[in-house]
Amino acid sequence: MRLVLSDVGKTFLSLRGPVRAVRDVTLAIGEGELFVLLGPSGCGKSTVLNLAAGLVKPTSGEIRLGGRVVASRDGKVFVPPKERNVAMVFQSYALYPHLTVFENIAFPLRVAGEKKGDIGHAVAQAGKTLGISDILQARPAELSGGQRQRVAIARAIVRKPALFLLDEPLSNLDAGLRASTRGELKRLQRELGVTTLYVTHDQTEAMTLGDRIALLRDGAVVQTGTPRDLYERPETPFAASFIGSTPMNLLKIPVLEEGGNAVLCLGETRLILPPGQAARVRRLGTAGILFGIRPEHVRIARGTADRPVTGTVTSVEDLGRESLLQVRMGEMSLSVLTGDKTVREGETVVLDIPPEEAHFFAEGNGP
Amino acid sequence: MSGEGQVRLLYRAGVLGMAVFALGPILYMALTAASVRPDFLSPGTGFEFTAAHFLSVLRTTSLHFPDYLRNSLVVSGISAALCVGIASPAAYAITRLPLPGRMLFLLCILAVSMFPPVSMVSYLFRFMGTLGLINTYAALVLPYTAWILPLSLWILTSYFAQVPADLDRAAVVDGCTRLAALRKVVLPVAAPGIFSTALLAFIFAFNEFLFALMLTTDHAARTVPVGIALFEGLHGEIPWGVVMAASVLTTVPVVLLTLVFQRRIIQGLTRGAVKG
Amino acid sequence: MEEPPGDRRPLPPDVRERHAAGELVRGYAFLAPVSAFVAVFVIVPVIGTFAGSLMQDVTFLPKRFLGPGNYRAMLSDPGFWQALRFTCLFTLVSVPLELFLGLAFALLLAHPSRARGLLRACVLIPWAIPAAVSGRIFQLIYNYHYGLANYLAGLIGLSDRPVSWLGSPVGAFAALVTADAWKTTPFVAIILLAGLSGIPGDLYLQAEIDRAGVLRRFTRITLPLLSPVIVVALLFRTIDALRVFDLVFVLTGGGPGGSTNSLSLYGYHYFLSGDFGYGSAVSVALFLIAFGLSVLYVRAGRFARELA
Ligand SMILES: Nc1ncnc2c1ncn2[C@@H]1O[C@H](COP(=O)(O)OP(=O)(O)O)[C@@H](O)[C@H]1O
Ligand SMILES: [Mg+2]
Repeated sequence: MRLVLSDVGKTFLSLRGPVRAVRDVTLAIGEGELFVLLGPSGCGKSTVLNLAAGLVKPTSGEIRLGGRVVASRDGKVFVPPKERNVAMVFQSYALYPHLTVFENIAFPLRVAGEKKGDIGHAVAQAGKTLGISDILQARPAELSGGQRQRVAIARAIVRKPALFLLDEPLSNLDAGLRASTRGELKRLQRELGVTTLYVTHDQTEAMTLGDRIALLRDGAVVQTGTPRDLYERPETPFAASFIGSTPMNLLKIPVLEEGGNAVLCLGETRLILPPGQAARVRRLGTAGILFGIRPEHVRIARGTADRPVTGTVTSVEDLGRESLLQVRMGEMSLSVLTGDKTVREGETVVLDIPPEEAHFFAEGNGP
Repeated sequence: MSGEGQVRLLYRAGVLGMAVFALGPILYMALTAASVRPDFLSPGTGFEFTAAHFLSVLRTTSLHFPDYLRNSLVVSGISAALCVGIASPAAYAITRLPLPGRMLFLLCILAVSMFPPVSMVSYLFRFMGTLGLINTYAALVLPYTAWILPLSLWILTSYFAQVPADLDRAAVVDGCTRLAALRKVVLPVAAPGIFSTALLAFIFAFNEFLFALMLTTDHAARTVPVGIALFEGLHGEIPWGVVMAASVLTTVPVVLLTLVFQRRIIQGLTRGAVKG
Repeated sequence: MEEPPGDRRPLPPDVRERHAAGELVRGYAFLAPVSAFVAVFVIVPVIGTFAGSLMQDVTFLPKRFLGPGNYRAMLSDPGFWQALRFTCLFTLVSVPLELFLGLAFALLLAHPSRARGLLRACVLIPWAIPAAVSGRIFQLIYNYHYGLANYLAGLIGLSDRPVSWLGSPVGAFAALVTADAWKTTPFVAIILLAGLSGIPGDLYLQAEIDRAGVLRRFTRITLPLLSPVIVVALLFRTIDALRVFDLVFVLTGGGPGGSTNSLSLYGYHYFLSGDFGYGSAVSVALFLIAFGLSVLYVRAGRFARELA
């Protein structure tokens, strides 16, 4: 079912005064889409999720679920969670500790007053889907973290919800389990075809899972798009540094006009920008520009290169297949991700910076 | 001797001293109750077992001991149930609803429990007299409940605060109303805490003295502490065997509760005090 | 950054009103039963007692307003001063004693041992039984003819003649203090035990690495970190000791010669004899003393927490 948020805002009244947790958020999530809300902790992701679930009433804006207004601008319409047919998986899993796994999964069905036989059947089905048929009689306290997480998901899918809400469901799992569960979740979501809103602060998770991502900061949406969009075309330095497994290098570098070309001054070296990039720089105005380049796009050239820039390696961090280098050039420092394992600390290297991979941002909305 | 050995010896001696200190008087009470003569320690006498004192406490109708015991159990039981029944919704609201001033409310209520009972008892005496309630269960249950409520609320609040708010949210998303979430999830999860609180409330009510002394007149409502305090022998001499037998019978319920629910009682007590 | 994270712009008025509406009323309804009970059966009686203390209110005499008359009478009554002196002395002796014993017990109980649960239950028993019963037990213990106290005193050769414990002011005082210590040390011990278990074990490990001795660890780690809990225990115990009634009523009845009359018992006697105005004045005096002390303790507690 489609979920549409239009200019939704939420202000909490706390002892220390009002907290604007969500500001004018507009999102349209399509039928069957897996939509990810990404952002640092405290940016209002959970609040958006709670607004969609009906756990929190918006202070402004309108929420529509499948064409029906479930929370309105003027506060006249508010559909409680009970009538929205949404399911939620919490970061803490929120399993009922006094109930067995079976009773936990059956809980939403029992509350809805379904018949005993149907409940047993549905729970067995959900248990099979998640591979937890053998622990249905256990209590949550007896389960491992991974098992609890599966129970929480089973409880969410058992009632065939119109909307599936997940709040950092993987953050309490250890790294190995997190990666495998991620894949499983995606498969499950495809199979069920249920519209899903997924909250995470982990960009890897967002990039691998999401059909689309909305990047949040301080309660507001910074950028919305597919994972590719966000990776290739970040619109702000914040988006640029938040997306990507190693943060993008962001440097304040002067760009000059020389003989009709836009030229980037990297120390002694000058890089001539290709026409597309030059146009973008000119739009931003050449004064006070932030130049960005991802560490994985900088290459160690050794010896010669078309656009040679030299620097000294100040640190080498071995990441396994690759190494993360910090390279000093005059006053600037650049992170470089390279597969070349022969580089040592203190060595002088020649860097190849491809201008077509460069990003430019107006200074002032810095990271 | 090594330092560690010394410490261990000191520990053993300390534990022994502690046990004798705590249990010695209890044992002395029990022995006197079961002894033919109360002066079994004096030279020339000795301990000789008898169950006569216990039987006389239970059978002598003019002593009314079984009545006192029943009154105590009923009054304490009802007070404890009322306390928990009234304090639980309040604790729920304090921990779950965004009510401005709720901490202030909690502190004010707690401050009330510091009032000395003697500063209420004369007014209560007249109040209950006006209502014609003197020497009824109601005359004790109502003030007991009010007097134990603050501590109950304080303890329950700390138990309810420990039930994660995500559980409420999960229940609401799963289709419960707020009230159903309270009934089906929060209350069952907090049940051990509620039980601990009820246990403490029961013990406080069972041990109360001043209200019971002023607000009751005879075995229709008099509780066991007052009964034991006002126990007088026929000829001025206190019948120690009988008094101690009554004391033993009075302590049996609370001692049993303490032994069985030691952990719950300690948990409840320390929540009231340490979390503050 | 376009906007600071904690935006303090005033809310539109409708937001505030919506928050203040029905939901709040429903929320406060949950607190209503507690408030009603406490108001009717605790606060109103206390106010009634305050008001009553300003009246001449004696059975068979006409009721009339006296103003501070009862208080004036009270302050010139040696019986009041005796009760006040006893109550303060009792509190000053028994509370530190209980604190000291309670701390020792707490340290013993905190020690890991197989019988820990049983030991805790045993220590808790004196606290759980009614004070009237413990009063009776200690009345027997301090019996002149065949009590345990005189038996033990004779056994270790402390005195060749039996001591008349309850017949002398000092003996009766000692009897009350020991009986109270017996009954309430467990409470202090349990509270302090909880405080002890809240002290992170790493601190002791670190101290051991730093080669701090047992005594040093106790004075440098245990006591400072325990001080907030000690203040709480002190507060509870002091308030309780000041209003002591049942133990005195049963064990000494205020005797001999009124030397162990506590303020509660002293006031109670006036209620019993029908002088409600005067009894109320005594109750108010006790109330004010207890109230003043709790304020003082809360201040001291805050101070101790700031020090720690
Ligand atoms: N019930 C609430 N009352 C007051 N402030 C809240 C409440 N819930 C969340 N907030 C505040 O709103 C902001 C966003 O919180 P949240 O949505 O939980 O962020 P995230 O899930 O992204 O970490 C935070 O500053 C948080 O303190
Ligand atoms: Mg969150």
